[in-house]
Amino acid sequence: MTVKNGNSKSGGASLRMSRRRFMGTAATVAAAGGITGFPNIVQAADPIRTIGLGVSIINEIQGKAAKDVGFKIRGQALGYGALFGKTLNQNDQYEVSECYFDMFDVMIPSGVFQAIDTHRIKDWDKVSNLTKTGMLTPGSSVGQGDAPVRQIWVDKDGKRTDGPSRYISAVPGWHNADSLGYNPEDTGRPIESWAELFSSDFRGRVALLNVPQIGAMDAAMGVEALGLIKFGDKGNMTRKEIDFLVDFLIKKKKEGHFRAFWETFGQSVNLMVSGEVALQSMWSPAVTAVKAEGVPCIYASPKEGMRGWHGALAISKKVTGKKLDQAYEYLNWWLDGWAGAFVARQGYYMSTPANTKKHLPADEWDFWYEGKAAAKELPDPFGSPLVNKGEVRDGGSYEQRFKKIAVWNSVMSENDYLVKRWTEFLTA
Amino acid sequence: MARWTPERWRKLRVKTGFSIYYVIFLAFIYGPMFAMFILSFQGRRGGTSFPMRGWSLYWWNKLLEPSTVGDMQGALGRSLILALMVMVITALFSTMLAMAFRKAFRFSNVLFYTVLTGLMVPGVLLSLGMAILMRQLGLSPAWYSSGLAVHVIWALPFGYLVMMAVFNRFDARLEEAARDMGADEWTVFKEITLPLITPGVVAAGLFGFTLSYDEFARTTLLAGADNTLPLDINASMTQRIRPTLFALGTASTIFSLLMISVFLGIYTILYRRSR
Amino acid sequence: MSNASEHHHTGLIGSQPRPDGSARSKISYAEEGFATAWLIAPASLWLILFLVIPLVSIVVFSFWENTPQGLNPAFSLEFYGEYFYTKGFFDPDSDRFLLPSVFIRTLGSTVYFTLVTMLLCLIVGYPIAYFLAMQVQAFKWQLALFLLCMVPFWTSYLIRAVAWLPMLGRRGLINQALLGMGIVDKPVSFLFYSEFGYTMALVQIYVVLGIGPIFFSLAKINKDILEAATDMGATPFQIFREIIGPMSLPGVAIGMIFIFVMIMGEFATAVVVYGGKTSTAGTVILNYYGIANYPFAAVNALMLMLAMVIGIIVILRVVDIRKEL
Repeated sequence: MTVKNGNSKSGGASLRMSRRRFMGTAATVAAAGGITGFPNIVQAADPIRTIGLGVSIINEIQGKAAKDVGFKIRGQALGYGALFGKTLNQNDQYEVSECYFDMFDVMIPSGVFQAIDTHRIKDWDKVSNLTKTGMLTPGSSVGQGDAPVRQIWVDKDGKRTDGPSRYISAVPGWHNADSLGYNPEDTGRPIESWAELFSSDFRGRVALLNVPQIGAMDAAMGVEALGLIKFGDKGNMTRKEIDFLVDFLIKKKKEGHFRAFWETFGQSVNLMVSGEVALQSMWSPAVTAVKAEGVPCIYASPKEGMRGWHGALAISKKVTGKKLDQAYEYLNWWLDGWAGAFVARQGYYMSTPANTKKHLPADEWDFWYEGKAAAKELPDPFGSPLVNKGEVRDGGSYEQRFKKIAVWNSVMSENDYLVKRWTEFLTA
Repeated sequence: MARWTPERWRKLRVKTGFSIYYVIFLAFIYGPMFAMFILSFQGRRGGTSFPMRGWSLYWWNKLLEPSTVGDMQGALGRSLILALMVMVITALFSTMLAMAFRKAFRFSNVLFYTVLTGLMVPGVLLSLGMAILMRQLGLSPAWYSSGLAVHVIWALPFGYLVMMAVFNRFDARLEEAARDMGADEWTVFKEITLPLITPGVVAAGLFGFTLSYDEFARTTLLAGADNTLPLDINASMTQRIRPTLFALGTASTIFSLLMISVFLGIYTILYRRSR
Repeated sequence: MSNASEHHHTGLIGSQPRPDGSARSKISYAEEGFATAWLIAPASLWLILFLVIPLVSIVVFSFWENTPQGLNPAFSLEFYGEYFYTKGFFDPDSDRFLLPSVFIRTLGSTVYFTLVTMLLCLIVGYPIAYFLAMQVQAFKWQLALFLLCMVPFWTSYLIRAVAWLPMLGRRGLINQALLGMGIVDKPVSFLFYSEFGYTMALVQIYVVLGIGPIFFSLAKINKDILEAATDMGATPFQIFREIIGPMSLPGVAIGMIFIFVMIMGEFATAVVVYGGKTSTAGTVILNYYGIANYPFAAVNALMLMLAMVIGIIVILRVVDIRKEL
């Protein structure tokens, strides 16, 4: 809760009872008062349900949304596996799924979502070109794999179309680019290439992401950077390429190259903080978290480019009538800027940068989006100090990062085969 | 008092040896919990691993505030209620089944292995199978309905096997004697059988509680719109893990120890009275 | 009750011999105790609804086809083939010649880890159960000391899992202690993300499951018998071999079943403590579940269950807990 930590103890205690009930009341009050510019539903409407990872389902976000739109939003935070399973198998159990574009090779054909009409998305024109054309700025590279631009366009019935259309599969949301994180004291040199992931200098001090689809792409970046092979599409490898990659990984594993394989955000932070690893595939906010715990950590910007991922807000096919209006309202709220500012302080970018800018103080905008040195100490979304004065965000500005996405998180056609070989790798 | 015979010395030595072993064993199984205790007092800027960045009660205070991701207090409440329901049902079903198995009956083999199958079905798939069936029937999952259903499936074999161990070589002569004296079945059960098997019933219930409280895989698709505690913790792992988690762990450990003391106290009082 | 008393000679004091004793004992065998049907009905119904039916659907899935549009009802053995057969198995020139598929090998290594851990759990846990049942006199303290072993279980596994690293890692408590005492001069890394650490962790987590049942069967041994045996000059070893050992076998069997199924189905500990450096049958299922290949996840699950059934049958062959009733 954003009860700023200096507040009186009694205040904290009285707020503790039930955040949800509190939010419900807040929503009712907001609805009655007509606080914001959103088209308010005068009576407190039924709540809508949204599911997602802890990245976007944060009480502050859904709480603020409820206040602004005038009805309750029941957010359910899930782990990645549970989110995937629930989104795919139980689309009667949510109105909105805050999922990821790399899931869409599964979700679009299975028809669990409904097409979203861009005419009902108020700020559609403000959504950046990253998802519309694949190029944030003219001349950027789209990147291999399931780039959002390849997943977003659908027809009225939710079937894929070749190019732009009035309908989209989901509203693009928060996103980021991942690469390597390292402790400069342990590596002794700056890391500028994915090839370093396999450098024998770091034998026994390297960790890799253990989600086969994504871990394989990180490894592929490294193998390609070593010049051992040139992948046709790292986001959709052939069996031959998978074999080559996994055989190489098995060889490395037998040499004792890997200290561990991590699966969750927290695990990767702890691996670095506790000094287990010197270098590992890592997510940008995890690097920030390591630094916040006082351990030196740098987020590398490899010359080969980064691996991108993109969050999305999709509406279940089962939603109709008033609930559908509410779902649209919630989606529109996400694009309005407040949420963008919130996730920016966690190190994520939002698909409507112009709106985000309106909600971020200039210092923070300059640090998070422009890649400039922090003019003063900057807070995390909950008001705790996160960034020291003078610090510069690794990886440069938003544009620099997304100009050169090497590959996007993907589900490959040969995914079954990849998982099989990955199992072999882990068992070896 | 008796003199210190060599035999008494030997017994004492054996007992001391076992006691020391027990203490070492406790230290072993509490292992990571020591790190958890210490780190729950981590300084404000510290994390869930060493080094310590100062000492504070900051994370303990956080425990009382609403969490950022999920709803820890609510989830804890739901998990406790669910665990209690599973506890009662498991204790009841296990006792009934084990009583039935004291006699031979048709299909007893089938039933035996069906109960044990609950141990073997991988949780995620049981959850998936149930979820798909419920969807086809138009039923909505919820932690207190479908969640409860599969938790009992999971806990029942444990409770049942414990009760089997209890009834194993159970001396039925007391019951027979009571029956011969004309007691009806309820009286026999209440006055003779139940007191003898109470430890087992408690153990079966405890198994139910413990297994349900900690169950994650089986709940993934069957909890409905509200998370149980393991689901909530799992979701929080998609974010930075804070020492609040360790404060929660330490608090629940202390709570468990307190409950055991209370339980012992009640037991002592009841035992004295019954004498 | 009044109805029943017309037929039976009731009354605790005024109990009389039955008119026809022999006939009564025959009938009573069937009538004694509660009616079986009522005892098993609720649990059976629960099992059918929430276990058998979902399980049947899992079996059905395992024959279905997995298409991009989702599951497609069919009778396909494709995934069973995938499970057992690897390309090159019959090809003498292939490096996979006669090499079992990765799924079978994973299952094999899971079984291996399970057996090792079971043995360790028995060695570590039996003395504790013995101590509780034989050395601690009052039931109250037996229960208290047993519950003390259960306490770690009441802290969510996911929380404990996070605490492994600060316990065993390079900067963990154990390494700090070793460094502090001057036993090592730089942190040892074999404690964590290693086979050693993994096995220790499994023992630590699951040993308590074995202790309970062993404790229960030991607690039922009549201490007078042991006294008598001692008086007759039996050595402690003889007493153990002749009385205590056999009497505790059902408990051992049940405890081993618990530990066996728990570790066979393990997936989380391998990730947390072994750093994901091995695959278990459980992780394979999760990985395929995670990419929505449910038929193949189902095949893997059924094979895992098959291995478990075999294991349980073997354990029950050694000790038939139902015969011992």
